[in-house]
Amino acid sequence: MRITGTERDADPDGRPVYLLGVEIAQRYRHAVGSSSPFYEGLEQGVLRATRCTGCGASWFPPRRFCEEHLTETDWYDLPGTGTVTAATRVHSPPPFGGIDPPYILASIRLDGVRGGITHRVIGTETPQHGAAVTVKFIDEAPAHPLLAFAFAIEGATP
Amino acid sequence: MLVAGVGMTSFVGFRNDASVRDMVADAARAALLDAGLRTPSPVDMGVAAYESDHFNRQMSLGQVLSDTVGLTGKPVMRVEGGGATGALAIRTALMAIRSGEARSVLVFGGETNGRSVDRATAIEILSLSADFEWETPVFGAFAAPYALMITEHMRRYGTTEGQFAEIAVKNRRMALDNPLAHRGMSITVEDVRSSAPLSDPYRLFDASLLSDGAAAALLATEDWAEEHSPTFAERPPVAVLGSGSATDRPRLSDRTDEMFPHFAAKRRAAAHAYREAGIDNPPDQIDVAEVYDSFSGAELQAYEDLGLCPVGQGGQAALEGRFDREGQVVVNPSGGLMGRGSAVGATGIAQAVEVVSQLRGEVAPARQVPGARIGMTDTHAGVGSLSVVNVFGRVG
Repeated sequence: MRITGTERDADPDGRPVYLLGVEIAQRYRHAVGSSSPFYEGLEQGVLRATRCTGCGASWFPPRRFCEEHLTETDWYDLPGTGTVTAATRVHSPPPFGGIDPPYILASIRLDGVRGGITHRVIGTETPQHGAAVTVKFIDEAPAHPLLAFAFAIEGATP
Repeated sequence: MLVAGVGMTSFVGFRNDASVRDMVADAARAALLDAGLRTPSPVDMGVAAYESDHFNRQMSLGQVLSDTVGLTGKPVMRVEGGGATGALAIRTALMAIRSGEARSVLVFGGETNGRSVDRATAIEILSLSADFEWETPVFGAFAAPYALMITEHMRRYGTTEGQFAEIAVKNRRMALDNPLAHRGMSITVEDVRSSAPLSDPYRLFDASLLSDGAAAALLATEDWAEEHSPTFAERPPVAVLGSGSATDRPRLSDRTDEMFPHFAAKRRAAAHAYREAGIDNPPDQIDVAEVYDSFSGAELQAYEDLGLCPVGQGGQAALEGRFDREGQVVVNPSGGLMGRGSAVGATGIAQAVEVVSQLRGEVAPARQVPGARIGMTDTHAGVGSLSVVNVFGRVG
């Protein structure tokens, strides 16, 4: 932390007020923990989800235990296809960077699992509700590991 | 359960003359004086409402604020529920009084969401409200998930950009009559549609404000008010008639197809609060509502999920002005988050300040809802991960 400066200003009635310039930088080692098998999958070019070993219910994003039966879940590979529920053109970059705005963001219902993901769609076309999409691994040195992949609209010109 | 006193600061873009503790001190003092107290000592406990250690630059702020408002020695708890923080603090006070733990609770909330941080820092902090592991990597501004919700609402029900732009116009116009509002404006639907794009279909004027501000409310039992609040007998008493809270999947894409364009938690919270308040026909029984207009379309969706109009008709209702000044229910006479502004920890309390003042008939004539007897507040966190609905009523 550091003080970058002290500023004298005036309040709305003209009385002097003082302001401090403050800089706080924070650095973390963030454990992705139980999502580690998903990150391992990214290195192998596959999306993974979890399912209940008892009832077979499945989740993406992965869950540590079945919320119906409290049983531990196990991991399996997804086909990487899905369907768009809604999409938008976003005009500001994501916090970790890695995508130049404007870019297309969609809520995607993933095949083979109960659940979905909000993620980037490749290209400039905003897909309609019901559009079929497929995961593509596009970046070997992404700004964030989750940006190693994005979704392509099926039938769209690459 | 009575609201014995209310107070708030003005909401502004930046207070160069006040820290968050100064603003909370002003709001709390105003609420205590409003109740006619000459000292804070009869108050049993405090509930501190603030969302973000990042914005306020102070951990353990609850105790600091408790000390600032004169409650040292009394118990205090800090409450956080994202955008619903202030309303959740009121609900917490209600639970404390209902449990018998306290007869009177001072709720105080504040936030420096304004320009004490630069825009890039504000966006960085706010992006932490999304799921850090699964959402923050792909979007920063909350315009994005709100845009996804309203896009599906538009497809399913034929809702249009012009319909929710009407709400952006209405709330900024309402704020012109509120001297404590951050920024009232006289704009048109065309102004909204030609403002800078954020996340299609949302534009800058579809979004709400980030403000510096504080608000406070003193909740008490009737016997406590009779004993300690000299103003209690002088004006129409206002009570908390009901309160409800519920959660939803925090990540939008985890929700069912059916509920994707709707706030499921809001429906559950409202149903619970209405049941307690004896409300079975909300648009007929509720006179005034402060609704969480984080985005213009979110207010439109809330009309439906709060039962103020049938599902799918929020757009038509907005276009007809059904919730405007002369409407069936006056929604956001304060100006809402778009006009009065939003200082997160204070927002749900500031809504209650407006509703209570409306029910007492104490606001400026220009924005007074004539004869208002029942009012409600609505807030949510994220894109509806947590909802809190509080219902107030004039009981005399």
